[in-house]
Amino acid sequence: MATARSKSIRTGYLFVLPALLLLLAVLGFPAVFSLTLSFRPESGGGFSLEHYRLLLEDTLFHQAFWNTGLLVGLSVAAHLGFGLAVALALNLPLRGQPALRLVALLPWVVPDVVTGIIWKWLYNPLNGALNDVLLRLGLLAAPLDWLGGRYLPLLSVILANVWRGFPFVMIILLAGLQAIPRERYEAASIDGANALQRFRYITLPGLRKMLVVSLALDTVWEVRRFGLIQAMTQGGPGSLTEVLSTLVYKQYFAFFRFEYASAMAVVMAGVLLLVSLPYIRMISREE
Amino acid sequence: MRHRHYSWLIVLASVCVVVLVATVPIDAQQRVTLRFSDWHLTEDVWNKSLTEAMAIFEKRFPNIKVQMEPISYREKETKYTVESAAGRAPDVMHLHAFSLPSFYEKGYAMDLTSFIEKEGKGFLDAWYPLPLELVKHRGRVHAMPGDYMTMVLVCNTDLLKQAGTDVERFPTTWGGFLDFAKKATTPGQQWGLGMVGAKDPGFSLRFSPFLWTFGGDYLTADLKRSALDTPEAREAFAYFVELSTKHKVVPPGATSANPQDVRTQLAHKKIACEIGSGWTAPIVNKLNPDLKAFEVLRAYPLPVKNKRATAIWLSSWIISPNTKHPQEAWELVKFISSKEMELKWFQDNRVTSARKDVSGTAPEILNDKFAKVIAAELPYGKVEPQIKEWPEIMDAFTGAVQEALTEAKPPDKALADAHARINTILARRR
Repeated sequence: MATARSKSIRTGYLFVLPALLLLLAVLGFPAVFSLTLSFRPESGGGFSLEHYRLLLEDTLFHQAFWNTGLLVGLSVAAHLGFGLAVALALNLPLRGQPALRLVALLPWVVPDVVTGIIWKWLYNPLNGALNDVLLRLGLLAAPLDWLGGRYLPLLSVILANVWRGFPFVMIILLAGLQAIPRERYEAASIDGANALQRFRYITLPGLRKMLVVSLALDTVWEVRRFGLIQAMTQGGPGSLTEVLSTLVYKQYFAFFRFEYASAMAVVMAGVLLLVSLPYIRMISREE
Repeated sequence: MRHRHYSWLIVLASVCVVVLVATVPIDAQQRVTLRFSDWHLTEDVWNKSLTEAMAIFEKRFPNIKVQMEPISYREKETKYTVESAAGRAPDVMHLHAFSLPSFYEKGYAMDLTSFIEKEGKGFLDAWYPLPLELVKHRGRVHAMPGDYMTMVLVCNTDLLKQAGTDVERFPTTWGGFLDFAKKATTPGQQWGLGMVGAKDPGFSLRFSPFLWTFGGDYLTADLKRSALDTPEAREAFAYFVELSTKHKVVPPGATSANPQDVRTQLAHKKIACEIGSGWTAPIVNKLNPDLKAFEVLRAYPLPVKNKRATAIWLSSWIISPNTKHPQEAWELVKFISSKEMELKWFQDNRVTSARKDVSGTAPEILNDKFAKVIAAELPYGKVEPQIKEWPEIMDAFTGAVQEALTEAKPPDKALADAHARINTILARRR
């Protein structure tokens, strides 16, 4: 019996082996290579913590770290809020519901870089559609330079990012909403619960797991956000929209500082790991 | 009889097989395919020109097939770096001069000296000395010079006339130009000058003439420290920034405007002038044929403050050290940088050449209304420092310009911060 079981386990491992080897080659090798590179001095050879020490002093890295925090925090919060609102609306028995769901998903289908280019056009202070609409509505007295100025650029990038990313959260939450039994709402209505109470005591607890999943996954996605920002601002003006992913890219491919860029990437990976810990714990606990 | 018939068929089939084996595979083995990568392949006018040139090359070298690989202008260094690191870069690549030091340092550009020596003494005499210096690394030639142009002002003479300015008496000083630009500006509708302020390789080509003509520079002569703390550098920086922040002679959104955005503004009469070069008129013409760019646009030397200076654009051809066909790749590079082809590039694309026997003597260039201005400025041309830290230095500097343009920092403070950051970057070099 025990032999049969161990044979079955061995067979299981054999089935998993090709996928495991592929993962090691595609993910493991670059990760280990990057890690070792981050400890190598730029002059070559040896072992050094110099790049990590430099990170502590690098004001541009600190700015990028702060900007990443802001971008991720505000984007994820908006994705959750907006995604939940749209999911609730799309969960109602509306006419043309499938078409509405498709329309709501469209921003997610558009590639990251294309979103950046589209929004850059929309924001164009000379002939952008956004200024035109706001001027016609009388909401602006003069065209705004959305990607210039001191405070607007990061907010403008976040707005584009919210548009692009909310459908991901929306679709997860919509799936969660559909899994909540209708009977609970009916019972609550009979007991006299109003809409807010039904939302507070049935919908939110029913969506708890989905909220954690979407929060964790969206955070990881947003920390890695690159194409949209690169297409819109390349981290500028100054370093107002510089985030970790654009800075790593720049250090690696524009400045050819492979070792320093690797150190940044390692720190970024560490932060991502910390962020995804609650999700990993939740998944492990369920298993 | 039937048996004999089959025998003949078998013999015939065998002969066919032998002939096929003897000819087709050998031909396939002998025909070499070269991968040729160039950002120009993404541009209609250039693509046509290069395709024609490659057809001529393949006719002359029937054993070589050229496989053309377009690449985006902005991403070329990234892609070439990754491909070179993986040993799979195209055989022949087209690069900016400013990217060359990084490629030399990483060993991504083949040493061409031995090929040049085989061509005989005096082979390089056809080129201007400055571009030849820029393609050398530790005394060895690692690239062949390509386009060689100076930056000039390209203006829409119709708009200037409408603004009441005399296009025959174009200002020769920056002070005079400011008055000119003010006249050509109608707030909210049209502006005197288009400004590239985005983090783009085209930024330094358009800013550097300001710095140099005011008498400033980016780095000290020994390239060891930033020179941005001089009064001349501060004056040039403030002048450039105030064109936007104080005098409002440039359209809003300069910090996100790249060269193509500015050319689009010129094509659609949003701006009267831009800093450009030989490529400007063909591209503007393509963007808006109704403008009649070749008639309406005119090139002027850049105004002067303390000394006459402009920036030089140089492109160059490199061969990947991983190429399996170095001799064939050299033949291709030699062909595309030949006098015949350099003239073709001018005729088709209006770019002047790093060859003296083209830019200095060809009547086509000397009589062209744009090229003659561009070629006349060559003696005053200057290049950015050729050090591998340059892209990082320029990123820090462009960031400072953007901070000043967006008024996140006063110009002096933005420049002082860039000065400090550039010194930190250069300290690593020491």
